[in-house]
Amino acid sequence: MKTWKQKYDEIFKANYFEFSFKIFHELMARRVKEILLVSSPYDAFILEEDGRFAERIIHEYRGLNLSHPPKLTWASSPSEAFDFLLKDDFDLVITMPRFDDVNPYRFCAGIKRMYPKLPVYLLAHMSNIQLLENNYPAKDDCFDKKLIWSGNSDLLLALVKSEEDMMNVSWDTKRAKVRVIIFVEDSPKYLSSLLPLLYKEVVLQTQAVMEESLNEEDRLLRMRARPKILLAENYEDAVSLYTKYKPYLLGVISDVRFKKDQKLNDKAGLIFHKFIKKNTPDTPVLLLSSDDSNRAEAFKLNAFFLNKNSQNLHSGIHSFLINHLAFGSFIFNYPDGKIIAKASTLREMEKLIPSIPDEVFKYHAERNHISTWLTARSEIFLASLIRPVSWDDFVDISELKNFISFCIHMRRKGHQRVVIADFNIENFDPETDFIKMGTGSLGGKARGLAFASHLLDTNLHVREKFPKLNIRIPKTLVIATEYFDHFMEDNQLDDIIDAELADYEIINRFINGKLHANLKINLTAYLKQVKHPIAVRSSSLLEDALYQPSAGLYRTYMLPNNNHNFSIRHNNLSKAIKLVFASTYLNAAKQLAKTTLRRTEEEKMAVIIQEAIGNNYGDYFFPAISGVVKSYNFYPMSYMKPEEGIAHIALGFGKTVVSGETSLRFSPKYPQNLPHFSKIKDILKTSQRSFYAINMKHPDKHKIPHDREKGHDISEFMLSKLDIEDHKSVISLYTELRNIFSSYIAQDHKIVDYFSNKHHCILSFADILKHDSLPLPEILSELLVTGRKGMGTPIEIEFVVNYIQSDDKSAKVQPEFLLLQIRPMSLQSFNSNVIISEEDIRKAFCYSTMSMGNGIIENIKNIVYVKKSSFDSSHTLTIADEITKINRNLTGQNIEYLLIGPGRWGSADRWLGIPVEWSDISGTRAIIESRNKNINAEPSQGSHFFHNLCSLGIPYLTIPPERKSDSFLDETWLEKQKAESETEFIKHIKLKSPLTIKANGKRAKAIILK
Amino acid sequence: MKDVMDKIKARDPYEKEFQQAVEEVLESIKPVLDKNPQYRHANILERIIEPERIIMFRVPWMDDRGKIKVNRGFRIEMNSAIGPYKGGLRFHPSVNLSILKFLAFEQVYKNALTTLPMGGGKGGSDFDPKGKSDNEVMRFCQSFMSELFHHIGPNTDIPAGDIGVGAREIGFLFGMYKKLAKEFTGVLTGKSLNWGGSLIRPEATGYGSVYMAAEMLATKNKNLKNKICLVSGSGNVAQYTTEKILEFGGKVITLSDSSGYIFDEAGITREKLNYIMTLKNIRRGRIEEYIERYPEAVYTPVDPKLDFNPLWDHKADCAFPSATQNEINGKDAQNLINNGVFAVSEGANMPTTPDGVNLFIDHKLLYAPGKAANAGGVAVSGLEMAQNSMRISWPRKEVDNRLKHIMNSIHNSCLEAAEEYGTPGNYFNGANIAGFVKVVDAMLDQGVV
Repeated sequence: MKTWKQKYDEIFKANYFEFSFKIFHELMARRVKEILLVSSPYDAFILEEDGRFAERIIHEYRGLNLSHPPKLTWASSPSEAFDFLLKDDFDLVITMPRFDDVNPYRFCAGIKRMYPKLPVYLLAHMSNIQLLENNYPAKDDCFDKKLIWSGNSDLLLALVKSEEDMMNVSWDTKRAKVRVIIFVEDSPKYLSSLLPLLYKEVVLQTQAVMEESLNEEDRLLRMRARPKILLAENYEDAVSLYTKYKPYLLGVISDVRFKKDQKLNDKAGLIFHKFIKKNTPDTPVLLLSSDDSNRAEAFKLNAFFLNKNSQNLHSGIHSFLINHLAFGSFIFNYPDGKIIAKASTLREMEKLIPSIPDEVFKYHAERNHISTWLTARSEIFLASLIRPVSWDDFVDISELKNFISFCIHMRRKGHQRVVIADFNIENFDPETDFIKMGTGSLGGKARGLAFASHLLDTNLHVREKFPKLNIRIPKTLVIATEYFDHFMEDNQLDDIIDAELADYEIINRFINGKLHANLKINLTAYLKQVKHPIAVRSSSLLEDALYQPSAGLYRTYMLPNNNHNFSIRHNNLSKAIKLVFASTYLNAAKQLAKTTLRRTEEEKMAVIIQEAIGNNYGDYFFPAISGVVKSYNFYPMSYMKPEEGIAHIALGFGKTVVSGETSLRFSPKYPQNLPHFSKIKDILKTSQRSFYAINMKHPDKHKIPHDREKGHDISEFMLSKLDIEDHKSVISLYTELRNIFSSYIAQDHKIVDYFSNKHHCILSFADILKHDSLPLPEILSELLVTGRKGMGTPIEIEFVVNYIQSDDKSAKVQPEFLLLQIRPMSLQSFNSNVIISEEDIRKAFCYSTMSMGNGIIENIKNIVYVKKSSFDSSHTLTIADEITKINRNLTGQNIEYLLIGPGRWGSADRWLGIPVEWSDISGTRAIIESRNKNINAEPSQGSHFFHNLCSLGIPYLTIPPERKSDSFLDETWLEKQKAESETEFIKHIKLKSPLTIKANGKRAKAIILK
Repeated sequence: MKDVMDKIKARDPYEKEFQQAVEEVLESIKPVLDKNPQYRHANILERIIEPERIIMFRVPWMDDRGKIKVNRGFRIEMNSAIGPYKGGLRFHPSVNLSILKFLAFEQVYKNALTTLPMGGGKGGSDFDPKGKSDNEVMRFCQSFMSELFHHIGPNTDIPAGDIGVGAREIGFLFGMYKKLAKEFTGVLTGKSLNWGGSLIRPEATGYGSVYMAAEMLATKNKNLKNKICLVSGSGNVAQYTTEKILEFGGKVITLSDSSGYIFDEAGITREKLNYIMTLKNIRRGRIEEYIERYPEAVYTPVDPKLDFNPLWDHKADCAFPSATQNEINGKDAQNLINNGVFAVSEGANMPTTPDGVNLFIDHKLLYAPGKAANAGGVAVSGLEMAQNSMRISWPRKEVDNRLKHIMNSIHNSCLEAAEEYGTPGNYFNGANIAGFVKVVDAMLDQGVV
């Protein structure tokens, strides 16, 4: 027999595609979008007066945040109505009875002839319904529903919902096993008053019992899975609905007197009840009647009964729904009714299950009580996992309990992943992925994070493709901008916006401010449960948004959060939050605001408090791998293409990568092809040597420093920069760290792909990039595609790979992939508007179709040109020497220049190009590798200086042989220019006006305009 | 000589690199030719400029995407007068026949100068290992060797590494050779230590350069003990130069990198050298960091405005340029002379500009040009072959002793050649001539083949 866990995996897999969250988007697919209201101007006027019909409908929809309120079109006469019907598609026609020329029944019949499937409702005033019934024979009665208008606009909403329920019931029950309530009522009067009441109750109750951690938007989405109300007006219809939807039936509410076999039958409801009880004895039935004499009979049949005319009708229906249709708490009771426990939320249920006596649990399990209860909460997926299992599928009841409790647990985690939950001080669950504290905006970075989470949850294929890897976002708490507003107001800090203060003065004022009392209490609740290291980050309104290059401008603080003294932890967190608030107004931020035409006063700051990702390795805490991946690779080598993207990864926290320190660069498509790792010398030179970590050893010393003089440097204190070689002994203890290293064997001048204590360790990530120990390149490729589709623009993603350590030392560490941030590719690295027009090409003195780099450079006036006329390949050493001298001279004056010369720049072979080192041409801002018949070398595409070109963003223009492309370089123009200085081989040109260098990395094209 | 050059130009007009190299070598051995009419009679010049054999072949291989690529492979077997062909393989897109002929030509005399029985050759391919995966490199190497193995062997031709061919490539090449030839022999040098490589490889150039200096000093009855030495660079060559100088009792007071240099008047001790080795080899930091640890030292950053290198402007006895090409110009050479330096041994390749070299020679400094002083690397390759042939791995000491011995031989042959050709004590001329004479004499002995 399978274990409960195996059972879970099996059922989960079988149901996952069917019941994943996206299913909610498929429910209630058909909507009433267009309503044609046909009434005389008078009736319309009355309607307006009574309830302002249209406005109320819209209002009701907005009130419930339903996204698409139906559009109401008013026709003042039947003929006008037909005109509209001819022109537009309508989903529902509501007609009032009074017209001068046409009676409503004929009008209805006319519509039905033309549009047999279009529902037509008759809405009459109380005063004329009788009139209608008396004057027109039943055979002409083709209205789908007849209702009485009493000024209750809920009726209109109920009508729309009822129509929609009928439209969707067949699909939604099949697709998602959505529950149904059958409501049998034939009287327009009672229908008009009970239908809105039922809908209101069902909506409110469903909302009330949904999982507490959901947010409003999610609740609305999940409302699509609320029980449907199916309306029947006679016995046959009722039986037919029952038969069709029996598996989904939650309960029945029925009138007693209605038509059976075409005739009014005083006991039809009772007969229907008996029919139901015979088939499904557990189905709760509520009988409604205006004739109180039916009460006794109902009682005899063990049915619930309410008098339609009772003053307590509403509360009676309310209590029926709660007590008998599973909207209330789940009550665990013995078969004899003795109550032992109640669970009102999923979390309570999960906690309670282990303590329930087996006998009680079996009793409820056998009757599907738990799945019914879950269904009423729109927990369709969860119910679908639980419903098919039977207690005898398990070894014993405790296995079944484990199974159900685990299902609930996993579902709760699933919820938490999907949504931004509101922080609830009573119910704070540290396992929740995304929580918001306070109202207001989340800020740009948190929005990005929420989107990242959304992306993972709506693109299930990403997780499915990498089943062995837990892909998630870090557990995140966002303090919304409300508390920033409070902070500014409570501490009277508004004057700071315009004040000319030094950074440390600003920081002082913020540090001395007080956080809002509620926030402090919330943070206490948070910190009581969260004891792992945390990152406190800014999330300003404009950060990461709108391509603004403010990423990294504001502060991030990493707190070890492990002090045994709670108040120190609390103080540190509070201080970090204040510092993040303060960063809004630091001078760098203000300066940036000026250059980007933003108003500092518009800026508001939300604060992200996030689980820091990593492990304790010795005295430090850090992740094994962190990195950034971008949609475009502007320096593609070999057969790489720009659009395949580029990744940078590093050991430790991502500061190494984000701040541009040495990290490993690779193409996710070709992770084994590392151009800058081709030579041992290059590997030694370009591999990472230091990393960032949180020092966990001396928590007392890790109070957030408050340096008056260096207010703007505070963040530097928070992460320790460590030398890899100094921590080799710690690294050697952990397989997951050892595995990302290679070793340099000096004796053989070679690198081997394993960690060795005897040799120098080289951070090569070879185990991942070459030996596929982790599908990191594949995940990154997948996320680039998915993310780009999601954002509709080239993106960059920050991520971390962490290995979850188990207490069981012999167990294999499990990797997890965390998506930290997703944002549009920043301006610094991606300028989407580098357009090279035909006009540009015509005007340019250089055009290359084989260039690397991206961007526009507009401030270069100096050119160092290796003269074509005097070039001689046997003098490249002298030429290198001359260039070195000019470079020294220009860099001494901080002048950048364009370097133009034939052959492979930086070649070690003097016959193939000018053998300069990078330091000899350090002042160059762009390079042209030109052609010369005296030099016979294939284009190098800057391969010698690859690392420098990439890290400094220097465009490299290759002019291939003419036969290979239409690239050109106008050397005649260069030869004609007046020289600032000139040697035998070199000409230094100083132009009056700067050149414009445009490089389009996506197309590998570049031009230089004079 | 002009006739020979004209012939080359007429026969291979596009081989500019080769033409230039031949011209330079012929220029340097002019006194030899003048003095030895038998060389003319034997038409030796025309014979040495023509490779004994050129092998060119197709190297098809499959990239990771399954696409077939084709490169061109070469082996120039230039001269085997004094031993089997020996010379590196270069994998680089720039590789072509002209370049390899030029390199092979130079290699003949470089090898001869070591006094070991090694002929000269060169080979390679226009394959670019840059940006290729390990698997692509392996497939290429295997394809390359599947043709080359027909032409090489431990007694025929022993390729080594060069640009683009490191320990990884040597491993792949050797593996394929072994499979095809069905024999485990020393057919390649530069192998890993645990399957046929030799010890003292990283140390060879630095140690060799110091041995050369010691030999030169010995001719003046001097030694390195207590000598103040200026060493430039801080890479392998500079580090092991310093190590050997310390072993000989000398005092090293400078080291440098591309950002600047340190001057430690008290001398770089063994402990300080260990720190530098960690700093440069492991941490790969800047030499500047030395003064954080040893504040008594002075760090001077590179000043782009200066037309001389202040490193060479300190009172000292010996100089060991071990950094890069052209690091000693005329002014630096003059500064060295003015500061009392009397011996210069070049660990780097061509570190002194021609005007600097002339100054050293004019002032009769003990000046060992790179060609001779940094032959330690080639020498250890020869020792690797010897160990392979003997099926033995010598311990460090043994290899080091033999290296010392080889440097002594190089020194002596330079000195003798210089003496014989009328420039006694001129190691520069001696180095140019010694290798050449050895080769052509062997050719004469072996008849017209």
